[in-house]
Amino acid sequence: MAFSWKAAGLTYNRYLAIAARTVRRSLKEGPRLQAERRDLMDLKFAKWESGKQGEVKPLAAANAVAMASQAESK
Amino acid sequence: MNSIRLSRAAVRACPAAFRVPIQCRSYADAVADKIKLSLSLPHQSIYKSTDVVQVNLAAESGDMGVLANHVPSIEQLRPGIVEIIEESGGIKQFFLSGGFAVVQPDSQLSINAVEGFPLEDFSPDAVRAQITEAQKIVSGSGSEQDTAEAKIELEVLESLQASLK
Repeated sequence: MAFSWKAAGLTYNRYLAIAARTVRRSLKEGPRLQAERRDLMDLKFAKWESGKQGEVKPLAAANAVAMASQAESK
Repeated sequence: MNSIRLSRAAVRACPAAFRVPIQCRSYADAVADKIKLSLSLPHQSIYKSTDVVQVNLAAESGDMGVLANHVPSIEQLRPGIVEIIEESGGIKQFFLSGGFAVVQPDSQLSINAVEGFPLEDFSPDAVRAQITEAQKIVSGSGSEQDTAEAKIELEVLESLQASLK
């Protein structure tokens, strides 16, 4: 039970991010508005091949796909 | 007779110790019963190498209290309360979202966490609302990842709710 998220392919980094997000959302109005700004992550990336930029993808979405493919049930 | 000889030996040993008084009693001896605590978040240092008496941690392997001269160890933290007994005797409590505590051999303790707040910053209503939300997702038919994420949220929220009581 302790690390059941591992079986679903989630990384420790993702686990920590979710735990932190939950803590932020549990705060009182004042500190919450301050803290929730830290939750935003808007990185995008693209693979370059033979001098050409590939498709630009959001990192969060790509990570979700990668974690799903790491799940033990697959 | 024997005791006199012993005391003479002690008298003889003394001048040697006085020649280098620094070795008799150093700063480290005077504060050996304190831990140097650093509690750091990515965006803030709550404690910065501060002398404290005791730190109680919610480690993944169980709850533990750390005093000075603790055996060196690395502990993964559960989402839970860290309790700090300060030099003045006051007790501070923070809820940490999870991270690591590193006990170093020279009574240094470094705690790293992603989020940490004093208990009075939390709203019990927000916790309750999120628990119902997460329970819906856990019992629903979402993807395996969504269910796993909701379970993590539940773990955090239940620990938080227990701490707020």
